Amino acid sequence: MQSRRMPDERLAVGLGASRAGANRARRRPSRQRRREALWAAIFLAPALAAILALRLAPAAEALVTSLYRGFPGGLRPQVFVGLGNYQTLFLSQAYWETIARTIVFNLVINPLQIAMALLLAVVMTRKIPARSIWRVLVFIPATIPIVGSSIAWGIALQPQGPVNAILSALGGSVQPFFTSPQQSMASIILVASWVGIGYWMIFLISGIDAIPEELFEAAKLDKAGPIRTFFHVTIPLLKRPLLFVLVADTVANFVLFVPIQVLTGGGPESSTTMQMFNAYRTTFGHSSKNMGAAEVVILSLIMLAFVAIQFRLLREDSPRGSK
Amino acid sequence: MRSRARFHTGNRIGGTSWVATVSAVLLSLLFIIPAFWMMINSLRPTVDIFESLWPLSPRVIIPTSLGVENYLTLFGGPFGRAFLVSMAVCLLTVMIGLVLSVAAAYALAVLRFPGRNAIFAAVVISFMVPFEAIAIPLSQLFNDWGLTNTFMGLVLPGVCNGLAIFNLRQHFLSVPTSYREAATVDGASELRVLWSVFVPVSGPAISNSALLIFLGQWSSYLWPLIAVSSPSLQVAPLALAKAFTEHSADYGATFAGAMALAIVPATLMLILQRFFGRLAIGSGEK
Repeated sequence: MQSRRMPDERLAVGLGASRAGANRARRRPSRQRRREALWAAIFLAPALAAILALRLAPAAEALVTSLYRGFPGGLRPQVFVGLGNYQTLFLSQAYWETIARTIVFNLVINPLQIAMALLLAVVMTRKIPARSIWRVLVFIPATIPIVGSSIAWGIALQPQGPVNAILSALGGSVQPFFTSPQQSMASIILVASWVGIGYWMIFLISGIDAIPEELFEAAKLDKAGPIRTFFHVTIPLLKRPLLFVLVADTVANFVLFVPIQVLTGGGPESSTTMQMFNAYRTTFGHSSKNMGAAEVVILSLIMLAFVAIQFRLLREDSPRGSK
Repeated sequence: MRSRARFHTGNRIGGTSWVATVSAVLLSLLFIIPAFWMMINSLRPTVDIFESLWPLSPRVIIPTSLGVENYLTLFGGPFGRAFLVSMAVCLLTVMIGLVLSVAAAYALAVLRFPGRNAIFAAVVISFMVPFEAIAIPLSQLFNDWGLTNTFMGLVLPGVCNGLAIFNLRQHFLSVPTSYREAATVDGASELRVLWSVFVPVSGPAISNSALLIFLGQWSSYLWPLIAVSSPSLQVAPLALAKAFTEHSADYGATFAGAMALAIVPATLMLILQRFFGRLAIGSGEK
């Protein structure tokens, strides 16, 4: 497909330089322009309708619901409380603990996954025999839907499970994993990382492959060892892909739900209750849909900020790709 | 086609690195052993799994007998039906999702109209916000709209995929404008240009978008959990989780379920090896 590409056209559009487009459009008869705008409206209608119904409507629904307070049984009409629900949330120690837990979880899991993915990507782009086999083996866990891997790890990490069997065979003591408030979060991180690392590795492998060969050759001529090459060539040139996978990984892990729902139910002692699971439990477990809506609004605002960064990284990335 | 070949080539300088080789083998064992253990367990009797869990012995990955009984039990139960529901949901989602994404990407890449960049940003950003974040209020809306417990109710949330639209747009931008101009001179409508000029040269981009939409829908869990309660519309991931929490004693069938869920996406991804190269969003190469 590469050969058919027209770099200039791509560059102009990719940079968002609508000036080129506007000039051309001005030269065209206005009938043509109207015709194109009409077709654009037709082609965009399904996507815009989907945004309206599946994204904006629920966001508005959450926002409005969060401003009311309902009563159990629904016999009394709900009353407008303004930001009352948010006030209640921010005065609640449990909610702050949930936020803190979400932040700590993300501060640990995302750098950990990306660092591991980077290490693997570097190893897997070296000259090694049967390279594609090792890549596929690392990637395979990412193909297993997380509900399957969560259940399997739940069995593997049970008190009398194979992981503890290995630990005690090596002379260690049996660990409680999901059943202890101290280890449950780390166990969730283990499950999510086993799935996630291979996936992000693929992105970083492409990033490393896109680095011009000459730079590695130059590093070699300078007698730079693998570690120097890594810090002075690979890392600086991989900055944008690294940033992209870090943000994308954060977006994914911020709403991590399945292993928590399947394995810990947010426990023990709330040790794995994070924002997404909390909003689910408030809404459906505690039947408090107004409070749940406030939690959804807060979570969505955080996600929106991350996605805006992710989108900028995608956009800024495109002109470079056409070179 | 450079990126497709990348999976096999692109050697870095120098001879074989033995440190890297040993690390590659050890690291990939770390990832594959649990998956191998899952696969073996799916093929042996539950009692054999139980006996091999503790204490550590070679039996943990060397089964005493192998067979497909677990799969037969599994597919004979509610999981079999759920698997078919999941398949049907995913197929319809991919069809609707592709039409929606291809049309939107064409408008955003090829047609000129006021506010194009703003609409592009709005479309991609709103679809990239993880669906889970707004799934809960959406389930309340679907309830009002009478879509709870319906087949379409399962399908619709999966049809939008921001990355699918983004990738298709990037690809359409790379199709020379002269193609379209030639067709327009011949009097072809935009629909015709899209269908007979752009679609035929976009095979890989379209199949990757289909894959993205499929994968998102295939593993969806939170949405079917809150939007569907009727057993006849149960999807496979939920049927598996339910079987695990309700009668967790049948480990054999549980592992078989995890494997059955994995086999469809794994086959699609590994056969469509393009995934590795062409979905390389992080590299600046699209």
